[in-house]
Amino acid sequence: MSIYQPHLMRVDGIIDETPDTRTLRLVFKDPALAEKFDFKTGQFGEYSVFGAGECTFCIASPPTRKGYIECSFKKCGKATSGLRDLEVGDEMGFRGPYGNSFPVEQMEGGDIVFIAGGIGLAPVRSVIWNVLDRREKYQNVTIIYGARTTGDLVYKRELEEWSRRADVKLWQTVDPGGETCDWKGQVGFVPAIVEKAAPSAKNAHAVICGPPIMIKFTLPVLSKLGFSDDRVFTTLENRMKCGLGKCGRCNIGEVYVCKDGPVFTAAQLKNLPPEY
Amino acid sequence: MRELKNLAKRLLEEGTVKVVIGYEEGPVGVRPVFVTRPADAEKLVFNSRCVQNLAAYLSRRRGHIARLGKSAIVVKGCDARAVAGLIRESQLKREDVVVIGMRCGGVALRPSDEGPLTPETVADRCSGCESREPKLADHLLGELPPAPPKATRMFELMAQIERMPVAERFRFWAEQFERCMRCNACREVCPMCFCERCIQDKSQPQWIETSPHARGNLSWHFTHAMHLAGRCSSCDECQRACPAGLPLGLLNRKMAEIVRNRFEYQVSDDSTVPSPIGAFKQQDPQEFIK
Amino acid sequence: MTFSISDSGLNALVDEVIASGTTVIAPALVKLSAGERREYQKIGSAQKMALTGAIVSNSLKPFIMPPSVPLFRYTRAKAAVSLEPATGKAQAAVVIGAQACDIAALEIVDRVMDWDYHDEVWFERRKATTVISLACTQADASCFCTAVGSGPDHPRGSDIQLLRKKGGYLARALTESGKAFCSKYGSHFEKAGDDADRDPLIKETREKVETNLKIDLGAIRSFLTRNFEHELWNDFGLRCHGCGACAFACPTCHCFDIVDEPEGITHGVRRRNWDTCQTAKFTVHASGHNPRKDQNSRIRQRVMHKFQIYPERFGDVLCTGCGRCVRVCAGGMNLLEILKVLDKSAEAKS
Repeated sequence: MSIYQPHLMRVDGIIDETPDTRTLRLVFKDPALAEKFDFKTGQFGEYSVFGAGECTFCIASPPTRKGYIECSFKKCGKATSGLRDLEVGDEMGFRGPYGNSFPVEQMEGGDIVFIAGGIGLAPVRSVIWNVLDRREKYQNVTIIYGARTTGDLVYKRELEEWSRRADVKLWQTVDPGGETCDWKGQVGFVPAIVEKAAPSAKNAHAVICGPPIMIKFTLPVLSKLGFSDDRVFTTLENRMKCGLGKCGRCNIGEVYVCKDGPVFTAAQLKNLPPEY
Repeated sequence: MRELKNLAKRLLEEGTVKVVIGYEEGPVGVRPVFVTRPADAEKLVFNSRCVQNLAAYLSRRRGHIARLGKSAIVVKGCDARAVAGLIRESQLKREDVVVIGMRCGGVALRPSDEGPLTPETVADRCSGCESREPKLADHLLGELPPAPPKATRMFELMAQIERMPVAERFRFWAEQFERCMRCNACREVCPMCFCERCIQDKSQPQWIETSPHARGNLSWHFTHAMHLAGRCSSCDECQRACPAGLPLGLLNRKMAEIVRNRFEYQVSDDSTVPSPIGAFKQQDPQEFIK
Repeated sequence: MTFSISDSGLNALVDEVIASGTTVIAPALVKLSAGERREYQKIGSAQKMALTGAIVSNSLKPFIMPPSVPLFRYTRAKAAVSLEPATGKAQAAVVIGAQACDIAALEIVDRVMDWDYHDEVWFERRKATTVISLACTQADASCFCTAVGSGPDHPRGSDIQLLRKKGGYLARALTESGKAFCSKYGSHFEKAGDDADRDPLIKETREKVETNLKIDLGAIRSFLTRNFEHELWNDFGLRCHGCGACAFACPTCHCFDIVDEPEGITHGVRRRNWDTCQTAKFTVHASGHNPRKDQNSRIRQRVMHKFQIYPERFGDVLCTGCGRCVRVCAGGMNLLEILKVLDKSAEAKS
């Protein structure tokens, strides 16, 4: 089979996260493949809607939950509009998993701080559940998540669940003006909330994903808190077509995001040309 | 030529403009140059190998040139039509560009074609040219050289195609378009292709298939020609830029002829005359509206 | 293993190969309204071959990586989807009379297509093609193969290399498949010494190309690594129109797009089409954010990919010095000139 031919998957569930973002739960059509399929947290895939094309996202579910994968997306262009039109039971395509992953094993035994903004929680969510499903291997878990408005918060039921857990410290925030009258979380931009939450950097790793502007202003805060650049991980999304290191689209300098990434440390990020 | 260099130098020194878009001798033939330092005005040349229509560099899409600041542009009479087109279609304000018009004795087919012009080497658009002295110009330089020799190639080919029965004519174009790889050179060099988002790049809906196959190529080239009807300045840059050697100028000539016959309109360097696509007249032919 | 073959022998050989049902691709004269040019084409008879003349205007790339190639077809029946391969097996083909720059390119692109994931779409045609090169006896001002590790008579990538000699050619069988070809069509070949009276034009052509450009690729590469931000980049992109003519004419540019084309509500085809880093569309995100905002940054990407990104990953450079990017450029961009400037800047810095 050609490396460009996707595996067929069936839409098993649909959750509307916000008015314009949606999560699809997908299961492999071929039971043998479903059995065999494995991935590492942070890896991405190419999701196909036949007739509309392919789009690239990190797998949003954790590898610790077998039998399905999930992707979360915002309706933006042709392919995501196609994905949005799918109904439960419809078949679509998936190629992957591709790229590197978050080194969750390396992080064992210490604290983890998750920081995400908007739909950037999708790739982080895979790591969060991976860690929570093997909770005993980690010390303190802190999640700091922000969105523009309360309506833009994704994975609301999971946020609810994390907020109730005693072994997770969750900080939720919305941008000033984005709060509703019953909002009980923080109001302020993510970098400010990270500073307020001030998670300990001692024996800790940080995983961060969100809009470029959020990452840009959060990295210095993490530095100030004592996180060294090689213990801060993020995931990049450049435009991609093949995901296989062939189509030449995702280069940032000599780096191929699809092969050398999508996961990079802040230290690596600082050495990259600003083309992302 | 001294006149041109001196003028460019003065415009830059006075700060009237920040860049002079003109021609220089490149490693292989004459090519565009962007002079920003007065001393570099010495690079400027004007001769029969100044083939390119530089008006494309005034288009809003060229952010990296616009960033340099206000520009002066060296134009031939034919190029002035494109500058006027940009002004006519509100892409450029007249006061935002200094037009340096050159009296022209015709140019060659290629910027590397040395020697005096002959019917074999002269550009198609120079035959019977009536705009060898641009009217749209802040400065008009040079003496009017003798008229260029007449090239008949394109007219002969056009007549030959017109004589063909429809099926044969379609076959001719189908064979030509088969060579197209969709590199989009024809679009990118076109001064009148200034759309921020070309219809070819739109995917919702996908009006034109991007694949270089018969269907996609045909719909692209026909749409391009239709979009240029009554707007094309006949610089033939699309044809010169085409790496596959498609005679795209033919299509645009034919469209221009139709517009001339139907709407009594000919693209000129007078930006105040509205184009048929941009104006409505009671007497416009409209028998096609059923 | 070296043989000799006469002019008439080569013609007979080509006709025999064609008669056997194998596709033969060779430079041939094409008459266009833009003038006459030599192009690699599928030929129907040896008479069509034009083995000498100006540099061939297209590269071999379209024959191995067609400008548009169907990847698979899809059919939807209600919720269910079925996929089927769009094309059959690649046809056996022989390329005759290819320039050194064009065959070297195939080997250079092989590395990308075999990096980690093996690209069948490329290799199925690649493996089905026997390559017979011909040492160049002509060069123009845009040729610079000798500056990028190749040369008019460089055999890299050839199964068989032909070298012009009086009344015919020397044929050097360089690979197993080349040797097999020579023995299969043995009646046309005679054993010969390796150096027997080569056309002196071959050496003259090499010398001519050498004067076109001399650079230090290693120095350029390390200069590029250290100078992603440099004022040079502000100048290079000015005259560039941002079309894909250079990339499409280039034998080593291999970037592509993947598109779906419905052919009805229920069925259609997914295709792989040539694409180029010179357009704004190439890198624009769905959000509208574009990491490469202007033409200067796109020119930098093209130069970087060829002389820094590819070399870091695979060695060599992603360029064979064919000069087509120069010949096709409507804006008068000149890679030789850019390389000279980079070389000089690298020298000044070291």
